[in-house]
Amino acid sequence: MKRIAVITTIYRYLSHAQHFADRFLVGYPKEGRWHHPDMKVVSLYVDQKPEGEQSTDRAREFGFSVYPTIAEALRCGGDELAVDAVLSIGEHGDYPTNEKSQVLYPRYEFFKECVKVFEEDGRAVPIFNDKHLSYSFEKAKEMVDDGHRLGFGVLSGSSLPVTWRLPDVDLPLECEIEEGLMVGVGGSDPMDYHALEAMQCMIERRKGGETGVAAVQLIDGEAVWEAGKDGRWSMELLEAALSRSDTPGGLTDEDGRTQDMIRNGEIYRLVDNPAAYFIDYNDGLRSTLLMLNGAVGDYCFAAKLKDEPVPVSTQFFLTPTPNVTYSACLIAKIEELFETGIAPYPAERTLLVSGALESCLTSRLQGHVRLETPHLNVEYRAPTESQHARR
Amino acid sequence: MKKRPKIAAIATIYHKYSHTQHIVDRFLEGYGWNSRHHYPPMDLVSLFVEQVKDNDLSGERLERFPTMKGYPTIAEALTLGGEELAVDGVLIIGEHGEYPTNEKGQRLYPRYEHFMQIAEVYEKSGRGVPTFNDKHLSWNWEWAREMYDISQSMDFAFMAGSSLPVTWRTPSIDMPLGVPVSEAVCVGYGGVDSYDFHALETLQCMVERREGGESGVKWLQAYRGDAFWEAHHAKLWSRELFETALCRSHTLTPSRPGFNNPFPNLDELKDIVKDPIAYQYEHNDGLKSTMILMNGLVQDFNFAAYIGSNDEILSTQMYLPMPPARTTLANFFSPLVNNIEQMFLTGEATYPVERTLLTTGLVAAGVDSLFADSTRQETPHLDIVYQPTEASTFWRT
Repeated sequence: MKRIAVITTIYRYLSHAQHFADRFLVGYPKEGRWHHPDMKVVSLYVDQKPEGEQSTDRAREFGFSVYPTIAEALRCGGDELAVDAVLSIGEHGDYPTNEKSQVLYPRYEFFKECVKVFEEDGRAVPIFNDKHLSYSFEKAKEMVDDGHRLGFGVLSGSSLPVTWRLPDVDLPLECEIEEGLMVGVGGSDPMDYHALEAMQCMIERRKGGETGVAAVQLIDGEAVWEAGKDGRWSMELLEAALSRSDTPGGLTDEDGRTQDMIRNGEIYRLVDNPAAYFIDYNDGLRSTLLMLNGAVGDYCFAAKLKDEPVPVSTQFFLTPTPNVTYSACLIAKIEELFETGIAPYPAERTLLVSGALESCLTSRLQGHVRLETPHLNVEYRAPTESQHARR
Repeated sequence: MKKRPKIAAIATIYHKYSHTQHIVDRFLEGYGWNSRHHYPPMDLVSLFVEQVKDNDLSGERLERFPTMKGYPTIAEALTLGGEELAVDGVLIIGEHGEYPTNEKGQRLYPRYEHFMQIAEVYEKSGRGVPTFNDKHLSWNWEWAREMYDISQSMDFAFMAGSSLPVTWRTPSIDMPLGVPVSEAVCVGYGGVDSYDFHALETLQCMVERREGGESGVKWLQAYRGDAFWEAHHAKLWSRELFETALCRSHTLTPSRPGFNNPFPNLDELKDIVKDPIAYQYEHNDGLKSTMILMNGLVQDFNFAAYIGSNDEILSTQMYLPMPPARTTLANFFSPLVNNIEQMFLTGEATYPVERTLLTTGLVAAGVDSLFADSTRQETPHLDIVYQPTEASTFWRT
């Protein structure tokens, strides 16, 4: 039975640590069964312990120990690495933000503590890092490089790439994409990250694989609609993405009606401050994330494929609170990493998205300028098999 | 160019989140479908609304869509004020509105009454047109049977039922056509003579695809409260299928404070579900199906069955993006409307109305069993034999 260390910022109800670690403790729904991983959480490190936090109760009930340092958690209080895998969850908790409004979660610091133990003890084990690797591409890159250097599996990212899709579609591997577009909602930087990763898990399947990002730009306000009218992003793809939304605002909220939001003009009225994240890839592909708070409340993707008259589109289904069964979909991937030592999909995806997001936020900070991003020459291949929930 | 069909809608009431609003709005406003905002290639030209109350939306819709006219009677809505049938398709939406209930607790929606007025126009005009009846045909089995028989004798396309058979599924799977099925369970939620129908349609749209097709139902027995738990304990239905169905839910009520998604044990189940209800019934070919309402525990419809020669389990959730808690649009009406559109365009129902005839009879038998102290109801009248469509008709694209 694999032994797991949980390294987290905070463990309280509905925090990521609670969602994720609990599934290793009480099981989770998987392919129509209640699945109990053949793994045991043996140690926990938690950075912040405010009132109402749960780590002490969990440790008592499920028979593991809480350690004051990451190194001790990984060594279970002994002299050498004593776990087979690390679940690192640096999400939630009280941390400062920087001038780009990024929350400075200590994911890199957590990861480096683990790497230090691996190096000192001469053995490395797989690490799952929740969400983006770091707010800083440089740090994120070091994390992925550490995995390669020491030969341990690194999996990272959001639940969106692996949750159910409505409809259940993936882009055909090696397809030729003319343009991609994602609609997302929520604040920056937590939710734009999820949306960018959802988009990335689709377009990375294109012909030739991922080639890296050449340039990014973040614009907001009226300029977003102007850019759409000028063809900088595709209105057709926005219509396709909206066709998958279950949560239009405005008139739908008022009296339940369906809406042709673009043609009736409501979308322009409803979105408080639209933002467009332009991601230009090294192979010439252009894709756009539109953050449309007020217009819709879900995450939908659309792409125009070469020689296909109708765009492909789908909704990344964020199942209801509090079960958030989408996180069970991610746990199944983490379990696979822990079991096999091999990440089911490359951490380079998350690395690229972490860097693209950081550069977009820099663009915003610098007056919405276009930024060349030669450092984002992250190349990788998508897994052949689709990785989202389908069984 | 082919003439655009003219459609009449006959409704009980038109307010926000009523079935009329969900269905008629999609014909008027269009809806998201296959990467487009799709406008049905037909015109909803007439509307009859039986109850207009403070929350009415029909006035606003009639004003904004002048191609649609309101009529004071069903006959006039069908003849567009003339002498003869003047539309090419009819929607009957007898759900919501203030109607009395009977001693068994059934809401007496006037679907039969509306249907009979429609049939009278068809009769006078010497022809019927494709007709969709929302939800079950009638609360009264004999009336439902009569509606079906009239559609058969007048030979017009007739379709009915719930959105459950046509909505998204997680996972997106169908019952393999022609596979043996030995037992099926649906775990859902909601009230008697209401959401039980949705759960029964969930079951039926799956099991009708089994080896031999549908053979009809010979008896039904309801269980409620303590009798439910006794039956559950005695494994009258498969515990494994019940638990599998729960594992497809996205809305399991946490059985322990501080945990967001634990799996409940039996004691916790009993604590959470105060009024469990099951309808168990045996089909004429021996298949045993059980419809279970677990109010308090789940808010979705989950299906599980033993299939094939090795009793493998097939399970899925029929997902309803249900407003207002989770969404703003009840988009499960989109595939329903899309199927109705196909019928209006082709003159052929996209799936058999016999499914809904049977589930209508099952609801009535369930209500009767509950009303008669959960006694077993013999159902020789549910000797309804039919074949499913070969192609899957649920939402996949």
